[in-house]
Amino acid sequence: MKPPTFSYVAPGSVEEVTRLLASDPDAKIISGGQSLMPLLAMRLAGPSMLVDLKAVNGLARIGIGETEITIGARVTHHDIESSAELASALPLLPFVARFIAHPQIRSRGTLGGSVAHSDPSAEWPTVLLAMDATIDVVGPRGGRSIAVDDFFTGPFTSSMAFDEVLVAVRVPRADRRWAFQEAARKAGDYGLAIVAVTAGVDADGRLHGCRVAVGACVGTTTRLRDVEDAIDGAVPGETLAARAEAVARDSVQPISDIHGSSEYRRRLLGNLVRRAVTDLTNGQ
Amino acid sequence: MDETLQHIKTPVVAARAIGTRVLRSEDPRLLSGRGVFLADTVLPGELHAAFVRSPVAHARITRIDVSAALALPGVFLAWTGTDVLPHCEGLVGEFAVPGCNATTMPLLATGEVVYVGEPVAVVVAESRYAAEDAAELIEWDFEELPVVVSADAALAGGDVANSQLPDNIGITGGATYGDVELAFEQADQVVSGRYYTGRVSAAPMETRGVIASYEWASGQLRVWSGSQMPHFVRYCLTAYLGFPEQCVEVIAPDTGGGFGQKAHVYVEEMLLPLLSRELDRPVKWVEDRRENLMAGTHAHEQYVDIAYALDDTGRITAVRTDALGDGGAYHAPPWSMAVEPWCAVVMTPTGIYDVPAAEYSYTAVATNKTPIGAYRGVGYMAGTLARECLADDAARALGMSPFDFRRSNVVREFPWTNPQNIVYDEGSWLETIDALEEMVDYTAFLQRQAELRLQGRYLGLGLSCFVESSGESTATSKEHGLGDVYHDTATVRMDPNGTATVTVGLTAQGQGLATTMGQMAADTLGIRVEDITVRMATSTSQAYGSGTVGSRGAVIASGAVARAGGIIREKVRAVAAHMLEASENDIELADGTASVAGAPDAKVAIADVAAAIYFDMTAWPEGFDPTLEATLAYDTARPMFSNGGHAMIVELDPDTGFVRFEKVFSVEDCGTVINPNVVEGQIRGGVVQGIGAAVFEELSYDASGQLLSTTFLDYGLPTMDVAPPFEIRHLETPSAHTASGVKGMGESGLIAAPAAVLNAVNDALTPFGAVLRELPLTPEKVFSAMNGSSAGEAS
Repeated sequence: MKPPTFSYVAPGSVEEVTRLLASDPDAKIISGGQSLMPLLAMRLAGPSMLVDLKAVNGLARIGIGETEITIGARVTHHDIESSAELASALPLLPFVARFIAHPQIRSRGTLGGSVAHSDPSAEWPTVLLAMDATIDVVGPRGGRSIAVDDFFTGPFTSSMAFDEVLVAVRVPRADRRWAFQEAARKAGDYGLAIVAVTAGVDADGRLHGCRVAVGACVGTTTRLRDVEDAIDGAVPGETLAARAEAVARDSVQPISDIHGSSEYRRRLLGNLVRRAVTDLTNGQ
Repeated sequence: MDETLQHIKTPVVAARAIGTRVLRSEDPRLLSGRGVFLADTVLPGELHAAFVRSPVAHARITRIDVSAALALPGVFLAWTGTDVLPHCEGLVGEFAVPGCNATTMPLLATGEVVYVGEPVAVVVAESRYAAEDAAELIEWDFEELPVVVSADAALAGGDVANSQLPDNIGITGGATYGDVELAFEQADQVVSGRYYTGRVSAAPMETRGVIASYEWASGQLRVWSGSQMPHFVRYCLTAYLGFPEQCVEVIAPDTGGGFGQKAHVYVEEMLLPLLSRELDRPVKWVEDRRENLMAGTHAHEQYVDIAYALDDTGRITAVRTDALGDGGAYHAPPWSMAVEPWCAVVMTPTGIYDVPAAEYSYTAVATNKTPIGAYRGVGYMAGTLARECLADDAARALGMSPFDFRRSNVVREFPWTNPQNIVYDEGSWLETIDALEEMVDYTAFLQRQAELRLQGRYLGLGLSCFVESSGESTATSKEHGLGDVYHDTATVRMDPNGTATVTVGLTAQGQGLATTMGQMAADTLGIRVEDITVRMATSTSQAYGSGTVGSRGAVIASGAVARAGGIIREKVRAVAAHMLEASENDIELADGTASVAGAPDAKVAIADVAAAIYFDMTAWPEGFDPTLEATLAYDTARPMFSNGGHAMIVELDPDTGFVRFEKVFSVEDCGTVINPNVVEGQIRGGVVQGIGAAVFEELSYDASGQLLSTTFLDYGLPTMDVAPPFEIRHLETPSAHTASGVKGMGESGLIAAPAAVLNAVNDALTPFGAVLRELPLTPEKVFSAMNGSSAGEAS
C-alpha cells in the first residue's frame, strides 16, 4: 500500500494552482488527503502530479455574514465541528460534522475536499444540497459560482472542470428548520443511507421551500423532489411523516452492495425520511 | 497420561501475588508507544519485498515475465514459482486422523492459482515503493478455470477447487457414542437446525510481517516474525529449507495481536529467508491490510446441522451434529481444515449437558477462497453456536425459560464422563447458569421486555454457556484421538540480591502473560512481583514453547515457571534452613523472607540467602550445588476444561435492523484466577470479537470467487461505540493438575459470545415469529425478520 510515483507542488496562490492544473490533465489537487491518500496507497488512482493547497492563503476561513456563511475550502471538519460561531449561526453544520469518520480524519479532512470529491456517501454533499449552498470555484478563465443543484453530476463527479479549484462554499443564513438522519452501523462508518431536510415554516405552521436530499444509498447525491412536493405546504406531524416515507420509497432506485440490497435501502431510506420529517426541529 | 512423568507435576505455592490485580508490567512500554514491533525493526542495508497476488480465484498460469520488473531501478530480484521450487515444494497441510487428504501449498504458485490473494511472484527492491512499482510490471497470463465458491457446491462435486483434491474433500469422518438412533426413535420431540458461522478474519491490529537476515560468513539466519509459534517456524525452516536448526534464530518482537492467525507457518516466513540468502541482504516484508484480509488465514466458515432428541420432561437424550466446513483452497499448516469442523463436533460434543448419546460427523471441503486457519476458540465457536442456539430453540418449543431448560440438562456431578469416555474432573456448570440468571435479574428483565414491546421497542436476552478444553496439551490431544505432543520450558534464575529473571517459551501478543508469569514466579519464590523480570519468548534462543495457542499460555507457562521456580525455591529453603539452624521442611518463603514455621522471629531475608549462595560458602549445607538457575518443562497430566457463560441484552431498531448491545453479563471459571484484570480483559476482548463475528464482520465473496471486503471500510470490525458495558463474575473451581489450580480462558469470550448474540436477537424477534440461524446478523437480515420478509434468511 504505497503510492506510485508522482510529482508534488505546493503553490502559493489560487492562480498558480489553476495554471498547474491546466498544464497537466493528470494532475490532482490534494488538501486534507483523507480520500485521496487511500486511493493512492491502494493504487486505485495514479495522478502524475499532486498540487497541494496548503500554501494558498485565505482558504481556511469561516466568514459569518448577514445573509450567508462562507466557508473556505481548507476549513477542516473539525474546525466546523468546534466552531462556536457556526454553533449559533448555523448549528446544522457542526451537528453533521460529528458524523464524519473519526476524529483523526476530521482534523485533516476538509470541507472543500469532501465536496470536490463528490462522494455520494459523504455527509457534506447531502447536507449542502439540502441547504441550497453555492460552490465557488476558480479556473484559468476566472471564478464562477455553481448552485449546489447543478454541482453533483454523478458518482465522484461534479460540474467542476479539471482545471478548476474549489475555493469556498456559501450557505444561506435563512430562518429554516432542519433535520439530519444517517444510518451508520458504527460511529465513523459510511452511512447506509443519509437524509437531510431543510424547510421554512409559515406563521400558521406550514412548511414551505422544502429541500430533501439523500446520500449514501444512491449513486449520486440527489434531491427527493417528490417528497419535497408532498410535504410542501403541509403541517409537520406523524401523518405527514408517514406520507413522506411512502413517497420517498417510491422516488429512488437505491444502490445494492454487500452492505445492503436495493430493496433494504429503499425501506431504510423511507424510514429515515419519516424520522427526519418527524423531527424537523433543528436537532432538538 | 503416565503419572510417572515428572514434567506434569507442579509444586504447591502460597498465594500472595496470585489472585491480585497486579498492574500489567507491559503497559508502560506498550501504552506509551515504546513497544518495538516488527515494522519498527530496521536492519542496516535492509531490502523490501512485495508480492504479486492472484487477482482471480482459479486459473492456470500460462506465462510469467519478470523482465520489466527487473529492469526497474532499485529492483534486486524477482522470483516466480519456478525459481522457488528447487528450494521447497511447498508446505504440507494435513491432520493426523483417517479421512484427511493432504495438500501442498507452494511458496509461490506454479501452474495453478486457487484463491484470490495467492502469491504468484515476489519482488525485492530498495524500498517498498519500488517493490510495489516493480510488482505492477510483472506480466503474467492465465487461463481461468471453473470456480467453487460454496461448501455445498464443493460437496456436490463436479468442478474442482484445487487439483490436489479431486473430490474437493479436505477431511471427513465421524463417530457414534451410545445408541443415538434409538434415542431419536423414542424421542418425544426432536428439535433441529442448521447454523452458519459466517467467514471472518482474526484481523489482528498488527498485520503479519517477516524480516529475514542471513549472514553468509557465519551461516546464521535470524528471522523476525510476530508468530505465536516461533519454535515451530524455526523447525520448519530446517525441515523445509534445510537451514541447520542450531544456526536459526526466530525472534518474536512485540506483537499486536495474533488470535490464531499468527499460529501458522506461512509461505512468506519460508520465502524471506531464501531471499535474504540469495541477496546477502536483510529482507523485510510488512503485510498491508488488504493483503492481510486476502492472504492471512480466514476463519470459522462452517454450517453445523444439529438435532436434539428430547423426552417429555425436557431432557436431551441424544445429540447429532454434522459440521461442514468451507476450508478454502489449501489446508493451512499445521492445523489444517480440520481446525474448524473437526473441532466443532469432536471437542465437547455435548457442551455442558449430560447427554448420554452423541453422534457426530465432520467434513471440510476445498473452495477457491483463502485457506481457513485458527482463530481464537477454533471450532468451539461454531459448536457452541449450534448447541446453545438449539438449546434456546428447544426451550421455546417446550415453553421453558432458557435458564430452566439448561438447568434440567446440565451436568451436576463431577467427575463426569462424557459419551466419548473423556473424564471432566471439575466444573461449575450449574452454578454458571444460576449466577447468570441472578445477574440479569430475569424476572425484572421479562417485565421490562414486555413493557417496552408495548412501546414498539424490542429487547432480547440471549444466554450461552460453554465448556472449553483449557491448555492445549499432550493429554488433551491424546484423549481426542490425536498424537500431538506439547510441552514448554521455563528458565528461572535468582540473582545475588534475591531478585529473579524468568524466561518462558511462549510468545505474547498483548495478553499480559509477562505480568501473570511474574505473579506465578513471585509466589513460587516467595518474593515480590516487582522483583521479577519476565522475558517472554522473544527469541527461540531462550526457553522452548509449543505455541501461544488453545488457551494454554497461563496454564502451561505457569506450570513450567512453578516447576523451574520450585528448584530455586528448594535451594533457597535449604540454605535458609542452614543459616537459621532449622529443618528445611519448616522453612516457609513469603514476602521476601524465609522464616521458620512456628517461630516468627527466626527469619532471614531471601536476598541474604541468595547473596550467601553466590558469595558465602559457609552458609551452604553440605554438598550444596549453588546453581541458582533452572530450566524445566511442563505439560498437563490430564485434559482440563474451563467453563462459563454469557448473557447479553440487545435491542433491535425496527427502522434500520441495527442491533444495539445494552449489556453483557459474563461468568468465567478458569480455576484459580492469577490476575482478575487480565482475565477480565480477555473476556471483554473476546466477547467484543464475538459481537463482531455475530453482527458486524463478514468476508464476502462474489460468484466468481472475488473477495469483496478488502479494507476496514467493507470489513466491519466492532469499535468502542458498539461495545457494551460488562458485568463480570468469577467462579473458581481449581484444577488439581496445574500450578495453583489455574485453567485457561483466553478463547472463552469468542467461543460463547456469538451464540449469546444470536439467542438475544432471536428472543427480541419473538413477536415477529422469526428465527435467524445464519451469522452475521446484518441489518438487512434483522430488518427482514422484523418486517415479515424472508430475504434475510437467504444465504
